[in-house]
Amino acid sequence: MDIFLQQIVNGLTIGSLYALVALGYTMVYGVMKLINFAHGDLVALSAFAGLTIYTSIFSNGGTSIVAVITVFLFTAMIIAVVGVLLERFAYKPLRTAPRLSAVVSALGAGLVIQNAIMLIWGPNMKIFPSDLFPSTVYDINGVVITFTQFMILGLSSILMIALYLFINKTKMGTAVRAVAINQDAAQLMGINVNKIIMIIFIIGSALGAVAGLFIGIYYRGITFDMGWMYGLNAFVAAIIGGIGNIPGAMFGGLVLGLFNALISGYISSAWAETFTFTLLIVVLIFRPTGILGETVAEKV
Amino acid sequence: MRILTKVATLVALSVFLVTAGSAVDVIKIGVQAPITGKYANEGQSIDNGVRLVIDQINADGGLLGKQLEVVTCDDEGKAQKAAICARKLVNEKVLAVIGSYTSGATEAAQTTYYRNKTLQTSDGTSDSLTKHKYWTFFRNSFQNSAQATFTANYFVKEKGYKKIVVISDYSSYAVGLADSVTKAIENEGGKVIYQGKIKSGTQNFTAVLTKIKSMNPDAIYFSGYYTDGGLIRAQQLQLGIKADFIGGDSNDNPDFMKLAGKSAEGTYMINFPTPDFLPYDAAKKFMKDYNKKYGKDPASVWALMNVDGLSAIVHAVRETKSLDTKTISNYLHKLKDFPGITGPVSFREDGERINTKFNVYQVQADNSYKIVNK
Repeated sequence: MDIFLQQIVNGLTIGSLYALVALGYTMVYGVMKLINFAHGDLVALSAFAGLTIYTSIFSNGGTSIVAVITVFLFTAMIIAVVGVLLERFAYKPLRTAPRLSAVVSALGAGLVIQNAIMLIWGPNMKIFPSDLFPSTVYDINGVVITFTQFMILGLSSILMIALYLFINKTKMGTAVRAVAINQDAAQLMGINVNKIIMIIFIIGSALGAVAGLFIGIYYRGITFDMGWMYGLNAFVAAIIGGIGNIPGAMFGGLVLGLFNALISGYISSAWAETFTFTLLIVVLIFRPTGILGETVAEKV
Repeated sequence: MRILTKVATLVALSVFLVTAGSAVDVIKIGVQAPITGKYANEGQSIDNGVRLVIDQINADGGLLGKQLEVVTCDDEGKAQKAAICARKLVNEKVLAVIGSYTSGATEAAQTTYYRNKTLQTSDGTSDSLTKHKYWTFFRNSFQNSAQATFTANYFVKEKGYKKIVVISDYSSYAVGLADSVTKAIENEGGKVIYQGKIKSGTQNFTAVLTKIKSMNPDAIYFSGYYTDGGLIRAQQLQLGIKADFIGGDSNDNPDFMKLAGKSAEGTYMINFPTPDFLPYDAAKKFMKDYNKKYGKDPASVWALMNVDGLSAIVHAVRETKSLDTKTISNYLHKLKDFPGITGPVSFREDGERINTKFNVYQVQADNSYKIVNK
């Protein structure tokens, strides 16, 4: 039984990272009907930027709560700015172009970011210091949870709840939902669509930045091409949950993380990806709009 | 009549001198190594090492009074290129070939050297290299199965592990080593309770490790590379698995310690001694000379192994005073404890280097190594 519970804890940890990244995909898709394929590379960029910020400000190796908060805030800000620039230069000029052009532009932007990381930081693996978070381990009846895992689960839950409240309970959130339903109508109602899209990119990129930092802190080794793997998994999570749907992305991320952990633990890690994509196909066959996706009325 | 004899003798003598002078003036030594491509730093180290030693021999008056000349051919670590290199070096009439670095490239060239009676010495570890028993081939490193036997003996006899878990990634090298180690442990009477595989580069190994936790092993052996090994070690301790962690030769890299962080302390590594750990004066001198000439250290111990292969051949030429490869080979097959820079060099009838020594290192709190085996 503890083995099963331990696998659940492992799965939830990686699942909440997928969920944070998936939110970036789903929010952009919901508002712009665009798959932002560069999002995974923004996650990778945040891990590298965070490492550089940490080592340049706190080079004495000392760690404190102030240091960690500074690194998270600075990195989230930088990645948010990069996200806004990405939208401004790669997507905005193509807003009225056919959707395929925007997707190709997104793939191109992803390659640009990935290669920029390689040119700036080099092709070798970079390694996070191991003392950013205390290495405390909590043992609850044989089920082990580390402080880092606890922080990942805690902070990502807080961020997701905050996002849910922002979208559903505030005036700005209402505007975001309005733009998602119909951009032209929203504009006629006096909503600044450009501003809303900018906010979407700021929030999505900042959440991705948090996920990127957690990946660095939790796994330590970061490579310039790791964005692709996390991006792909998060994209699958967003689709499973129903792309465009915010609770769907959170749910999809957690489901995917649990599913992966259980398949790796009880069948084989070599089969994990095969099962992931089989799950995706099964979900798409029986619920084409995702598990939490709404059934879309056919327009005649 | 007497004049005729004199003339004939003179002609014969001059012809002999001319041929001797032009053809055997220099002795050519071939280097077949990956100078470019994925393993370029290893290939370049081998070439640099060989050239360093040859320069020293030439400065000391050469071999049998003749100067040595190096002919390098880049095989890029690929089998197709290796076959081309073999032809090229044979056409250059080299006495012996040093290399290649990878077992695959070595195997592809082996038969050509054998058919053309050209000596070859390589650091490839694949067991199949000495399978044909070619008299021209000499391995200057160790067999994978030798590492496996050493590992099994250490686990079962010295440490007395009862429950051993063996993990590998999916590469043919790591799977081969893991299989050999498992078989060797069973031959020693030990028990491998689980043989697991991880996907290299996935970073999250907690699923497999959680499964292992329920088996309560004494030891976890990982045959893959350091990029995964460091993370497996860190996640093992996070999950509270108290088993010893033992890494195969590919875990021996400074990045292992960085990835594992504080968890690196207490890890065991099994490998051939790394260059800075070779206790011999000749090795220290070689490292110093190498650094002086090229401004850096050789990439790893493999270059030094190949240099030992070369030195053994040079030694055999000096002792037999012959450039006939069969004579040299016969001498080398009986070579015992020639003082090489990676330790005593002895060859078996099939060209296998015997009595290679492995060490078990334990990582200390400051990430330095300590030799812990008997």
